[in-house]
Amino acid sequence: MANKENELIDELKNKFKLEPKIQRERRIWVSFDSNNILKIFKWIREYGFTHLSSISVTDWLEKGIYELTYHLWSYEHNMIITFKTKISRDKPIIESVTSIWGESAQIHERELHELFGVKFKDNPDLTPLFLENWEGPAPFRKDFNWRKYVTEEFYSDDNEREKIYYD
Amino acid sequence: MIEELETISQDSEYDLYFGPAHPGSGNFGVKLKVDGEIVTSARADPGYLHRGFEKLMEYRTPIQNAVLSDRLCVLEPLNWNLIHAEAVDELMGIEIPDRAKYIRVIMAELSRIQSHIIWYGVFSKGTGFDTGFKMAFGYRDFILDLFELITGGRVYPAGYICPGGVRRDFPKNTKDKILKVLDKMNKMIKLWEMENPALNARAKDIGVLKINDAIRLGATGPVLRGSGMKTDVRKEEPYEIYDKLDFEVPFREEGDAYARYWIGIEEMKQSIKIVKQALNDLPNGEFIESSCKKPKLNVKIPEGEVYVRNEVSRGEAAIYMVSDGNTKPYRVKVRGPDFLHMIPVLEFLLKGVQIADVPAVYWSLNICPADMDR
Repeated sequence: MANKENELIDELKNKFKLEPKIQRERRIWVSFDSNNILKIFKWIREYGFTHLSSISVTDWLEKGIYELTYHLWSYEHNMIITFKTKISRDKPIIESVTSIWGESAQIHERELHELFGVKFKDNPDLTPLFLENWEGPAPFRKDFNWRKYVTEEFYSDDNEREKIYYD
Repeated sequence: MIEELETISQDSEYDLYFGPAHPGSGNFGVKLKVDGEIVTSARADPGYLHRGFEKLMEYRTPIQNAVLSDRLCVLEPLNWNLIHAEAVDELMGIEIPDRAKYIRVIMAELSRIQSHIIWYGVFSKGTGFDTGFKMAFGYRDFILDLFELITGGRVYPAGYICPGGVRRDFPKNTKDKILKVLDKMNKMIKLWEMENPALNARAKDIGVLKINDAIRLGATGPVLRGSGMKTDVRKEEPYEIYDKLDFEVPFREEGDAYARYWIGIEEMKQSIKIVKQALNDLPNGEFIESSCKKPKLNVKIPEGEVYVRNEVSRGEAAIYMVSDGNTKPYRVKVRGPDFLHMIPVLEFLLKGVQIADVPAVYWSLNICPADMDR
């Protein structure tokens, strides 16, 4: 059952000295150093992971890091491998993977740039997608409280009907 | 006066806004640069429907998020219910009773059928075939009646598929009622399969997407299958009971609007087949895991992370959920198929087409702005 998974794990261990883990069938999770990003991803694309399912950022406020996760799917091997890497929260800069997965990577990075403020080097277009004329902090960061922001910005204390109703 | 007119006519380039408040675009805009009749470049302009679900879910418990997940896609709320429930189930390690799995699949497939009906309707409308539009929305109502009977809501099921199983069991005679509706669907599909020269002329060889481009642009689901890739998450990574079911994955090589439209119709037939099988094998027993029967707000989600993929009617949908051990998820990332279809794929396909073909290309992608903006 887990032959394909084990083969890939061995390759990653030998080639890049990574330590992948199998979570369940068709799910592999692996952490890597963000400096090696292009080297590893070029190889994994060649290996058959042609579909970049999504990129995500998790904001670990207390540890002061952003954790980036790249979920890759292979139509050949039928499995997801998730690459995780950590970058500094204050200076979130990382190489873009647009050169490897093309436009599908570009659009994911463009979204994350807007929502988390991560700068992707060599991404040709990082204009905001959703928000117009937004000058505040990146809205999906954990230290941005939208409830507070909305109450201060749009609600009036004098108006009885505009009292907040959530807990 | 004449001089003025000449300067205008010499300059044949202009901007054309398709949406977001256009009846044929659905809460989403594309800015087209047009030279005469030909679109020279297209720029998607999302954000009209952005509600920030990923952030909203960080503030709520799974039982609240189950209701919220309806709204991820207006046109197929049950499928998004299912994928959210699966993510929570996997994080919490809940074993789902067999009956619940069957009910989930039946509901998801009925939802897929009604979503494809809307697709057919808006595609017909976009290409000037109004009868198709009206027929589609008429037939869709039969399925909405079923949803009302089973979930209580016609369009939004309010978290019917929840962590642990489903909220309610099937009421009496549901099986017969579903079978009756499926017969109607079969009749409808027979009508749609008739060759329609007007539609063929509008859809054949329009918006051709080659397989290499499709993979590079991140296309999934019917769009990728229309370009010649035989792929389906339900087959490659069976969730719930899909490994026990017998169904085909339709695909076509051409990659044009007609191929994608054809796949929509074939998929409805396959969904009907799936629902019939699942109804036939529907086991007795519990419809929800006993610990989830009474909704509790303060259940801690164990620490961990999962990536759950499903095939919704538009393609690959996924939820990445991280928990730090609290009652609310720490981070939820929603991957909607239309995020890729509506920005890179659409921009790529619209380049070089005539203005009259824009709606045909646009609607052949089976788009839904709700899960793109999120």
